[in-house]
Amino acid sequence: METPLVLEKWPGVISTVTIGATAQEGGTRSHSLKIGGQSSMPLLFKEGANPNKPKLAFEVWDVAPSDFDEEVIKAFGKEINDPLVWAEICVNKFKAELLCLKMQGTHPDFGNKSPEEAAKFVSAFLSKVKVPLIITGSGDDSKDNLVMPACSEAAKKERCLVGSAVQDNYKTLTASVLADGHSIIAESPIDINIAKQLNILISDMGLPLERIVIDPTIGALGYGLEYAYSIMERARLAALSGDKTLASPFICFVGQEAWRAKEAKTNPEQGIMWETLTASNLIQSGADVLVMRHPKAFTNVSNYIEELFNLGS
Amino acid sequence: MQKFKVTFLPDNLTVEAEKDKTILSAAISAGININSNCGGDGICGRCKVIVNEGQVSSQPNGIITPQERKNNVYLACLTTVHSDLKVLIPDSSRINFDKLTPEELEERLSGLYSKAEDIQPVKEKFEDKVFTHSPFATKIYLELPEPTLNDSISDLERLYRALRQYGEFPAIATGLFNIRQLGELLRDYDWKVTVTLGRRNETVEIVLIEPGDTTANNYGLCFDIGTTTISGQLVDLNSKKILGTKATYNQQAAFGSDVITRIVYAAKTDGLEKLHNAVTDTMNQIIKDLVSEHRIDLNSVNCVVCSGNTTMIHLLLSMDPSHIRRQPYVPTANFIPVLRAAEAGININPRGLLNCVPGVSSYVGGDTTAGVLSSRLYQKEEACILIDIGTNGEIVLGNKDFLVACAASAGPAFEGSGVSSGMRASSGAIQKVNIDKKDFSVKYSTIQDAAPRGICGSGYIDLLSEMLDAGIIDKAGKIKVEGKRIRQGENGKEFVVCFKEEANSESDILINEADIENLKRSKGAIYSATAILVRHLALDFSSVSKIFIAGGFGTYLDIEKAIRIGLLPDLERSKFVFIGNSSLAGSRQILLSAQARDMADALAQKITYFELSVDPGYMDEYSQSLFFPHTDLTRFPTVRA
Repeated sequence: METPLVLEKWPGVISTVTIGATAQEGGTRSHSLKIGGQSSMPLLFKEGANPNKPKLAFEVWDVAPSDFDEEVIKAFGKEINDPLVWAEICVNKFKAELLCLKMQGTHPDFGNKSPEEAAKFVSAFLSKVKVPLIITGSGDDSKDNLVMPACSEAAKKERCLVGSAVQDNYKTLTASVLADGHSIIAESPIDINIAKQLNILISDMGLPLERIVIDPTIGALGYGLEYAYSIMERARLAALSGDKTLASPFICFVGQEAWRAKEAKTNPEQGIMWETLTASNLIQSGADVLVMRHPKAFTNVSNYIEELFNLGS
Repeated sequence: MQKFKVTFLPDNLTVEAEKDKTILSAAISAGININSNCGGDGICGRCKVIVNEGQVSSQPNGIITPQERKNNVYLACLTTVHSDLKVLIPDSSRINFDKLTPEELEERLSGLYSKAEDIQPVKEKFEDKVFTHSPFATKIYLELPEPTLNDSISDLERLYRALRQYGEFPAIATGLFNIRQLGELLRDYDWKVTVTLGRRNETVEIVLIEPGDTTANNYGLCFDIGTTTISGQLVDLNSKKILGTKATYNQQAAFGSDVITRIVYAAKTDGLEKLHNAVTDTMNQIIKDLVSEHRIDLNSVNCVVCSGNTTMIHLLLSMDPSHIRRQPYVPTANFIPVLRAAEAGININPRGLLNCVPGVSSYVGGDTTAGVLSSRLYQKEEACILIDIGTNGEIVLGNKDFLVACAASAGPAFEGSGVSSGMRASSGAIQKVNIDKKDFSVKYSTIQDAAPRGICGSGYIDLLSEMLDAGIIDKAGKIKVEGKRIRQGENGKEFVVCFKEEANSESDILINEADIENLKRSKGAIYSATAILVRHLALDFSSVSKIFIAGGFGTYLDIEKAIRIGLLPDLERSKFVFIGNSSLAGSRQILLSAQARDMADALAQKITYFELSVDPGYMDEYSQSLFFPHTDLTRFPTVRA
């Protein structure tokens, strides 16, 4: 006897966030991407819609990467030291559809570039590289509050995903993102309640919930991946049950976490596998954008996504 | 041992201190009260002092910044004396943040941190006639027949025989002290004496024999011994009239602001003794003020009833509290037999009695039992909740069939402690606040319409609610606008409620982001404990018929605003009843009626204790409640977003 498939019906749906604006949409991007939109738990194709594949983005910096693992640097060659060339390699050679530009050079300890220099760099980057863009600050709150409004304005109308808003520092970034037509990354420390509170605070400032992407903060395989996994799962369950304040897609910064693991540094293949496995696990828990470092891991995960969606369709 | 002179500035007080003694303990011996929330463990960082002259040795810690180190800032608790010193104690490191006048300072240094102040108890919501009038100590005037050859029983038996005409006493006991003086007393005063009877457990004791008729002067005291606040009431046991009520901060606050730090402190050398002395000093000061104001002889005060949380009662009786905080959390005693008040160091009639209201468990004490008694939760047909909002908040859910209680460590913020402009609900405390939504101007009213001195718990509830409505703070409690009342302070942004020019005081009355964080945690602890308890019993809030709110809020609490900030659940407003200090009311009932005392014993046995920390959902529920009103906004449908 055939066992009938038990299907769950959910009242909620994850919001769809578009990254990048093409010429018709008022920007200058070669294409735009959609993330989110699910009406089932991750990859349960029979249960609900999973309209958009998870997207992979390469992490690039506005300066030469100073703390990247040697393996990652080797994979790009010495061109990695020129940010614009590095970005072009990602797009042309490794077929990236999305880039994540981290303004590390503005950090007081990593070059301390001024907001004007940062804005100038973003303009130059946008005119040279045409894929949709995620822009994140250096992580120094007070400096980011000066730099990010300038970067946001320099990328006006390009519908970027801009980060990261945190609970104690979300107002400046939210105001810029709202004014310049971007979407925002809301970062919470592996805590579903803070994720939800931050979404409410941001939407209270007038930015629609549909323009928020949650960074749940993840740990690499062996370094707390399961905590991130269960937080994402809980948030998804709440969202699908009808909680609009948690119905945001997820962005996961995989590369930076995976290459911090000491296991990733022991031999080249293991590092690539560490990044690949961390990413593929997070896809199972609902990641919508994964920010990667190593081209081989990038390709592995790309193939994995294709396979998953072929099986599902 | 080498001794050095330590001079504290600006007080200019000098004390001798042994080498390697901490600056904190030197300050305590100088009578200066330095903030020490963590009890001297170097964690809270509130005891910063500046060493102007001399050699010290300090343990490394993560609290002093390199800049502060350059300016000779040290933590008083981790820094020891190595030579004669001159130490400046900034105001911010002193207990209570109020700027003090020299008179007030002198008062505080004289041993009390703040003077006991009159408080106006909330008008009783319940008729006092629940229990028959049979006070803890009763006076009976006797005119004994002189002995003759035909009636030659002994003096003591003669006394007993006369007493038995007044009722069937199970057993009468008399101390040797009274028996020794009996013969002479009876003969000197023509066989006319007044006997004070006290109920001591299962027997009746002749507490005191006085010459003549003194039945008119029979007084008792009831106390609520809180972690932060101690309230006392003087009652005429004949007329049941309350003569006066006073409250003051518990002097134990100098040894830590919560019960756990105090339990830890009690384990140190002389720690228990210091804590015991601090509480009895506070109580004796209240007693002294009450009896002298009402011109009552201390010898006419014959009994005391105390309710307090389990740790407070342990410290009052100098019982070792250390096992309260260790698994499996067992107190030395929950049911304390009736003792002589003098044994505990309480100054009333030397032979007067002390009854401690029985507790339920290590974290639900006699104050809760007294609260259940006075709110009459145990008689309700439908499920009701008693929420006692204090440093150690307690929540009881139940009705005539069952009673379940849990404890929530809420901190002292709603009692006006640990917040920058906080004060008790006494004269001059801002208790009502209105903020204009356009220009953020503030209208307020104070208790007794006195000049504003600070903000009390109900004032903070009003203030937070109004700041949320005016858009001054966001739902996380951060100040998000600019204006002439808003400025950057040491502890984040601050909002000035009342400029010093308006208040005619030495400093502005304000609330800062650290205060808001503190209040948010307090309200979160109370709400989440209540929510968990309701869920644990498979009920929901809608099935609760009444919610009794108790706590030292003075005479006023705006339920609407308490819901607005998420302290209380969003239910029909008519379900809430504000009953004031239910612990004090309960201990007064016990003072006035034997029936009430028996009921308290029964209740303490009946109440089931529920340990919140074993509920897997507790942490999640708590962090959800750290938002105004709550992370799950659907639970507060009537609060506009």
